[in-house]
Amino acid sequence: MMTHEEIMEIVQGIFRDVFDDETLIIKDSTNSKDIEDWDSLEHITLVVSMEKEFNLKFDLKEVNELANVGEMVDLIASKL
Amino acid sequence: MNEYTYEEIETGHKESFTVTVTEEMMEKFRDITGDINPLHNDGEYARSLGHRGRVAYGMLTASLLSTLAGVYLPGRRSLIHEVDVKFAKPVYIGDTLTVEGAVDDKNDTYSLLIVKAVICNQDGEKVCRAKMQIGVSG
Repeated sequence: MMTHEEIMEIVQGIFRDVFDDETLIIKDSTNSKDIEDWDSLEHITLVVSMEKEFNLKFDLKEVNELANVGEMVDLIASKL
Repeated sequence: MNEYTYEEIETGHKESFTVTVTEEMMEKFRDITGDINPLHNDGEYARSLGHRGRVAYGMLTASLLSTLAGVYLPGRRSLIHEVDVKFAKPVYIGDTLTVEGAVDDKNDTYSLLIVKAVICNQDGEKVCRAKMQIGVSG
């Protein structure tokens, strides 16, 4: 079972890849307002990347309801 | 025009079509975009750079990817999200291009197709490669 922190570390790597920024620091409270390029298309790219990385499937409704990265990590944890 | 739904398309599904690049297409593209670069508009200049004639606009070639998605794969329900395109070889007026797309992957959450596309000339040379992310509406 992966811890919240272990998942967060992988999620941070995905964010750095998607936004092409190796200095990006992601916290539980990070949301789309904190990252300039985090628009609806990049959100899709993030979700698709996480599905691939963690080998799981999200439901469209549950990913649309996420308020921040912490909730995303919790959702991933609930599916592992 | 094809009218595939997301569920009807499997990974590996292929579609293709053929187009010949004409003088008229070049003129229309220049008029629409305002790209008057001599490589595309001055045969003598293009030949001085080692080309056999005016080079077709790369983005004119790439515009055929719009047709690939919007008419063939998936057709009517298409919404292009992303296109990553590489121009491998020059295209010349009179070249006949075959555009082929194959579904490389699907994402059920967002009803997305990941399509790998190649555009080849009449000699079978790849002139353009692209990776496309295409949404399929319900």
